Amino acid sequence: MKREVKRGIFRAAKTTTLYILVTGVAMIILFPIYFLVTMSFMSDFEMYNEWPLPLLPSFTMHFKIEKSDKGYLLYIYNRMDKKYLDVLNTDDREYMTSFIKRKTNCPISREKLNSILAEVDRGKTVEFKLRKNIVLNYSLFFRLKQDAWPALVRSIYTALATIGISLIIGGMGGYAFARYVFRGKNILKLSVLFVRMFPAVATAIPAAIILGNMGLYDRPIGLSFIYSIGSIGLTIWITASIFMSIPVELEEAAQIFGTSRLGAFWHVTMPLALPGLAACAMYAFIGSWNEYAQAIILTQFNPTFPVVVFEYVLGANGMEHLATAGGMILAIPAVIFYLFIRRYILRMWGGVRV
Amino acid sequence: MANLRLENLSKRFSRRVWGVKKMDLLVNDKEFLVLLGPSGCGKTTTLRLVAGLEEATTGSIYIDDVDVTDFPPRKRDISMVFQSYAVWPHMRVYDNIAFALRFKKLSSDEIDRIVREVADMVKISNLLKRFPDQLSGGQRQRVALARALAVKPKIFLLDEPLSNLDAKLRVVMRTELKAIHQQTQATSIFVTHDQSEAMSMADRIVIMRDGEIVQIGSPDDVYFKSADVFVAGFIGTPPTNFFEVEVERTGGLVVLKNPFFTLRLDEKRSRLLDGYTKQKLTLGVRPEDIVITKRGEGLFDERVLVVEPQGSQQIVALKLDDKIVKLVSPRIPRVEPGESVSIAFNYERLHFFDIDTGRRV
Repeated sequence: MKREVKRGIFRAAKTTTLYILVTGVAMIILFPIYFLVTMSFMSDFEMYNEWPLPLLPSFTMHFKIEKSDKGYLLYIYNRMDKKYLDVLNTDDREYMTSFIKRKTNCPISREKLNSILAEVDRGKTVEFKLRKNIVLNYSLFFRLKQDAWPALVRSIYTALATIGISLIIGGMGGYAFARYVFRGKNILKLSVLFVRMFPAVATAIPAAIILGNMGLYDRPIGLSFIYSIGSIGLTIWITASIFMSIPVELEEAAQIFGTSRLGAFWHVTMPLALPGLAACAMYAFIGSWNEYAQAIILTQFNPTFPVVVFEYVLGANGMEHLATAGGMILAIPAVIFYLFIRRYILRMWGGVRV
Repeated sequence: MANLRLENLSKRFSRRVWGVKKMDLLVNDKEFLVLLGPSGCGKTTTLRLVAGLEEATTGSIYIDDVDVTDFPPRKRDISMVFQSYAVWPHMRVYDNIAFALRFKKLSSDEIDRIVREVADMVKISNLLKRFPDQLSGGQRQRVALARALAVKPKIFLLDEPLSNLDAKLRVVMRTELKAIHQQTQATSIFVTHDQSEAMSMADRIVIMRDGEIVQIGSPDDVYFKSADVFVAGFIGTPPTNFFEVEVERTGGLVVLKNPFFTLRLDEKRSRLLDGYTKQKLTLGVRPEDIVITKRGEGLFDERVLVVEPQGSQQIVALKLDDKIVKLVSPRIPRVEPGESVSIAFNYERLHFFDIDTGRRV
């Protein structure tokens, strides 16, 4: 084979392999998210009875009722098995209404059921379909656990507090490392990173005792203190190098032209450090928002939202479809935060060239 | 009125390192004072002490007889131009200049008027809407200048503002700064290590070395009446030539002897050395005070080592033992390397320095 042709084929093969690899990785990352979204719209029946899990949630459900020994026999159509599955054998009409709603997220009025059952009484086997309330999971999530909405608020509060504490303390620490020379500076700088090495769950139990002594156990502010521990270290590292890249002369000039040292920081240093500070805020937010391991240990009656989501997963009666709805709700403020902070991270003053 | 007085001012950096040692200085109103000296002599430290960016170890600083030693920079009624310009990159040129004015609670019309006035003075009126990273180095320096002028301070501080400019721009800016000073009549302190810059711009020059003042005087003073060997060797290009000579007295007149020449001083000049009792003396002669004379009429003859043409002048280098002596003469008549020339000194311009201390006799 001519060398030109050989090289061309080789290059094509390389590119194809690369694309396959990238697609594969993308699928591994994207599929779980895809399922999270679809599962949050699925009913109990689809989640647990339909196997393998359908790729799309259904908008309507098909039923069949026929006369039975105990009264009426209810069938629900299984898309995957492609046949009706008998699920309920009862006489109790009230129970049947609530059962249908609970199992398939399809609300049915008593009149409609009565008219169907009247037909069944006449000897027919009735097949009917109902419109599914696709977003029922979301309202169920909040209704079944009264604490869900306050937990969401608590999560937001904790995240904001963590960001605030990390930026203020970490920012001040970073500034000190950048501008001043003092004894033990190098050791201290390494040690702030050292605190992040400990597994969070292991330190959570002694942390619970300490918080209890402070009277901050089971309170969002206490939780944000614990989250801040790791964030402060990272913030100090990032802000130290950011502040070091801002020439001292800029601050000195500000002091000569009308500000105090603090004013120089506010008017000159901070605007220039904003992208770095925004990145630190993002890390602080991430460390606090999704966190549930420490939250479970450190809260009891005032959980944060991830804990509530987790509670839906626990146990034999776990309702994962509601948990996925909770997961979606958990994602929304994170997305909003990201859209907000993105502007500051991307903001560049054309570089700090003096 | 805006005069500056430094009393017993010193700055210590560590147990053995003193940046500025016990300095007393008086800067007159409307004066353009230059602090000149080699790197590490304490000139920038002095400037920063006056600015309030460094804390004094001892001593006091008075601006218009007000003790500002403990005042932060913003309360001292000063402004400063930095060597690196220190123009704020996240603000437009207009906002850079207006920054200080906004703290003074002026109306925005007033601020606008002042900003445009100083922008005009430094010729950057068309750049007001730009950001600093869209400007060249020279333009940024003008922004720093405008920013400092806008405040109309009592004392104007400049820390080697021309050092980062290319050679041609530097010379242009020298003249512009001098013109601005004449227009604003602001008391200014200018720090530099470039002696030609200092000579061309200063009303008075303060020559510093190792944290101490060596000489204060007008450019003429430090040039023609250098206080010591260091000043004489620092000021002027090419630098002063120094000769170690032996002092002999014969009949009331002084004769200076050196392996290469014997210099007989007349009565007037001999009297200058009346109080000098040492055997040896350092003689200083500036290059332009060494002349090439007709054969046989000079102090000594010597072979020319190198000739550096400088347009209408030439620098002629001679080698005396292991020392190089340079003289400046007009290009005509031309001198060639290897030629033997007759050398004489201008008697009016001989400088005598103590052989040990180096101070002027």
